[in-house]
Amino acid sequence: MPQLVPFYFVNEITFTFIILAITVYILSKYILPRFVRLFLSRTFISKLLG
Amino acid sequence: MAARSAALKVDWAKITTSLGLRGQTVAGLQAFKKRNDDVRRKVQQLSELPTTVDFAHYRSVLKNQAVVDEIEKRFTAFKPATYDVSRQLKAIDVFEAEAVKNAEATKQKVDLELKDLEKTLANIESARPFEELTVDEVAAAEPSIDEKTAKLVSKGRWSVPGYKEKFGDLSVL
Repeated sequence: MPQLVPFYFVNEITFTFIILAITVYILSKYILPRFVRLFLSRTFISKLLG
Repeated sequence: MAARSAALKVDWAKITTSLGLRGQTVAGLQAFKKRNDDVRRKVQQLSELPTTVDFAHYRSVLKNQAVVDEIEKRFTAFKPATYDVSRQLKAIDVFEAEAVKNAEATKQKVDLELKDLEKTLANIESARPFEELTVDEVAAAEPSIDEKTAKLVSKGRWSVPGYKEKFGDLSVL
């Protein structure tokens, strides 16, 4: 099983965490705030229209 | 007389209509006009009356010459009292200048306000419907959206309070 070869295993772990970290960063910095902003504008407009 | 000619020049009917006066002001103006007309009529009537006295006639008619002499003496000595109205005229001029200045200032203010209102009206008329707006445009018009976003994000909250109740969500759970 190649998964149990130590170098391969360490490589898997490393890249998993790097990708997770990058995903979390991009989501929290760029993607999710866009949604929050969109929702806030929607509520603002619906408040304007009464 | 300068004052009388100025009063004659005033077009009373035009004042009320062109200035759009109402209520108490119109009543006051009409009262003032009436007073002016009355006084003018009175002055005309009085100025038409003879101002000379035929003392020779009285002297020949009356026995008591001393009385006639006395009255003639008094009559020739009489001088109508003159009033110095220049101070009042000056005060009126100052008041008029002040009023004109105030009116100009008010006009300027009103013009500015009018311009602002016209701008607002043009803005309203040229406004696009909400469907055509982008989030960026809405956020530019209402800066509190960006502030609120930053606040919610910094707290780590990704949902907007009150949004789900209003718009629902697609969550199956």
